[in-house]
Amino acid sequence: MLLLSRTATIPLTIAFLTLALPGCSAMRSYDGELRQTVDLVAQGNIDQALQLQEQNNTNHDNDLLYFLEKGELLRLKNQYNDSVATWLSADTLVNEWENEAKIRGGAILDNIGAILLNDKTRRYDGHDYEKVMLSTQLALNHLLSGHWDLARTEIKKTHEREAIIAQYRAQEIDAVEKESRQKGVSTSFKELNGYPVATLDSLEVSELKNGYQSAFSHYLAGFVYEALNEPSLAAPGYRQAIELRPNTQLLEDGLAGLDRRNSDLNANTTDVLLVIESGAAPALSSVTIPIPVFYNNLGVIPISFPLLHSDPIRTALPHSVSIDAGIPQNVVGITSLDAMAKRALRDDIPSIMLRGVLRAAVKTASQRALMRSDNGYVKLAGIALNVMNVITESADERSWRTLPSLISIARFTLPVGKHTFSVMNSNGITSSESINIDGSHALVAVRTLGDQTYWSQPIYSGQMPVRVAQPSQKIETLDGDKSTRITPQASLNTQTRKNKTKKKVKK
Amino acid sequence: MTNIISKSTAIIALSTTVLLIGCANQTPNLQSGNVAYGDSQAVETLTNEFGSTDLQSIAQSMSNSLLQSPVLRATARPLVTVADVKNHTSEYIDTKAITDTIRAKMLKSGLVRFAVDTSAMKNQTDELIRQNSGLYKKSQSKKLGQMEGADFRIEGSITSIVKRADDVKDIYYKLSLQLINNESGVIEWADEKEIRKTSNQSMF
Repeated sequence: MLLLSRTATIPLTIAFLTLALPGCSAMRSYDGELRQTVDLVAQGNIDQALQLQEQNNTNHDNDLLYFLEKGELLRLKNQYNDSVATWLSADTLVNEWENEAKIRGGAILDNIGAILLNDKTRRYDGHDYEKVMLSTQLALNHLLSGHWDLARTEIKKTHEREAIIAQYRAQEIDAVEKESRQKGVSTSFKELNGYPVATLDSLEVSELKNGYQSAFSHYLAGFVYEALNEPSLAAPGYRQAIELRPNTQLLEDGLAGLDRRNSDLNANTTDVLLVIESGAAPALSSVTIPIPVFYNNLGVIPISFPLLHSDPIRTALPHSVSIDAGIPQNVVGITSLDAMAKRALRDDIPSIMLRGVLRAAVKTASQRALMRSDNGYVKLAGIALNVMNVITESADERSWRTLPSLISIARFTLPVGKHTFSVMNSNGITSSESINIDGSHALVAVRTLGDQTYWSQPIYSGQMPVRVAQPSQKIETLDGDKSTRITPQASLNTQTRKNKTKKKVKK
Repeated sequence: MTNIISKSTAIIALSTTVLLIGCANQTPNLQSGNVAYGDSQAVETLTNEFGSTDLQSIAQSMSNSLLQSPVLRATARPLVTVADVKNHTSEYIDTKAITDTIRAKMLKSGLVRFAVDTSAMKNQTDELIRQNSGLYKKSQSKKLGQMEGADFRIEGSITSIVKRADDVKDIYYKLSLQLINNESGVIEWADEKEIRKTSNQSMF
């Protein structure tokens, strides 16, 4: 029987776990899986993309990413109810994270796998911008299904989610700074020699307030609150959109016209928000960089970092939109999820670096202890551990890939009825669709990926916004009848106004 | 032997008790230990954003001030309506929640009456339409053209100034309300409520 010294037991346990675990998530290439799925969507094969999604996730214990990607694919098929149900499963998982985040704010090492192997073994909680986009996408689905009250609930959830993320990240920054100072670890991404720092340091990325708040989410909040006749909540929605993306005329018009728009709308016109989602969110790959670390005399150690790859070829930017073959109107890109992903990664680099250093410290200490042993088998385990450490050192490639890369908007006031919407992208390709417009406010969404265009068909049922009562109009009186009839959209005012209207009719 | 018997008796008695307890119709356990009710009036300082304490203190201060205004006391139960309280902040503050609380406090005093505001007008007209649709007895239907116009309207705005320096965030809120005579356009009453909140970095 092989007798082991106490000093070799712990390193051997770590070696065992390191050698045994690679079969699981530690070795999964999410980028490889989703590249095929996104390719299928770009070719118009949504059903095949959904099949592939199921094949890649045969595990019954589906994680957050499974629900996020599947919900998006179902939405592209215009299966709003199925998409909502799937995304609500994702939302439950995000909600669990939120509840934990309130308690363990600033926990930088919350999973033993992250210490022993790599960040892929951590439970996937979603990037911050993905958590926010989940409620925004859910709100879009509810709006397209005609459930404006449910959309309002999701939008309110977005505000609360942003507040939790802000508080959690502030605590995490404090914790990482404190731990880094104690261990003498530099966590500035600008000191990563060999990493394409320029990708995270562009003006577009630096100008963002943070990696999770989007101008689109807040503009949408403004639009929904306005539609539901809640101007006191619509105003901060438009205002925050302007703060997140300054100097954008369309966003400024949203706030400036808030008081005027409701009175301008009549019973036969609709305030239409057109949302154009383009491309796919950037992919993550792993790049390993040698980092000099003075902590525990580690020397120069290899640490893996995620590297973002944008997909400009398939992100043909929407150029203009025309209604009923009218004069084309430029659309405005207001949220780049590509830039937000980069900003989120940039903000996360200090935490990734610190986890990498702590992981290297544990692995190196175990390896050294095994190599010092007189037992040949234990030494062999030390060599095997060294090999596996190199193989398993890989950055987390997981991210919500079927999200769009860019979100653009345009806003119109249109007569109620069928209209032909035409979107032209920067490659000169035009896609048209006949869409029925109804109600006081309506939302039309379209997704472009490669040469494919996926149009939504809004459903007008459920809880539609009601037209704001306009006392100055729509009061009809019936001559010969002592009673007064009011049209459904109309409102009443005082006796005086009724009398005035009566006189008008008699003329 | 006696000892063994007494032990067996005790075990049988215990088993029977356990079985009977199991069969009994028990009240379900409704407590997880993780949820607790709190005092809705307690001072809340969880975050530096506009919260329940701010809403309550603004509503209390404004309703007291309004009820003491000479113009409302000069008329017997004047009719008031609530117009828009504009939100000039970047925070999602539901100003209707503030005015609803003010209205409830004023109504409880019995000194004033309130007419439906614009947000409730749709429901009001829908109800009148239904009652005059021919489905109801004409004698019992509420007649059109009988709504009362409000003597006064309450309107106002909420603004904020946010400043950050090093680790400190300072937020200053100001809610301004006015009572306007609907016929003459005269501002009969006005008041302001200010709130200042300061927090360190971990809170924002």
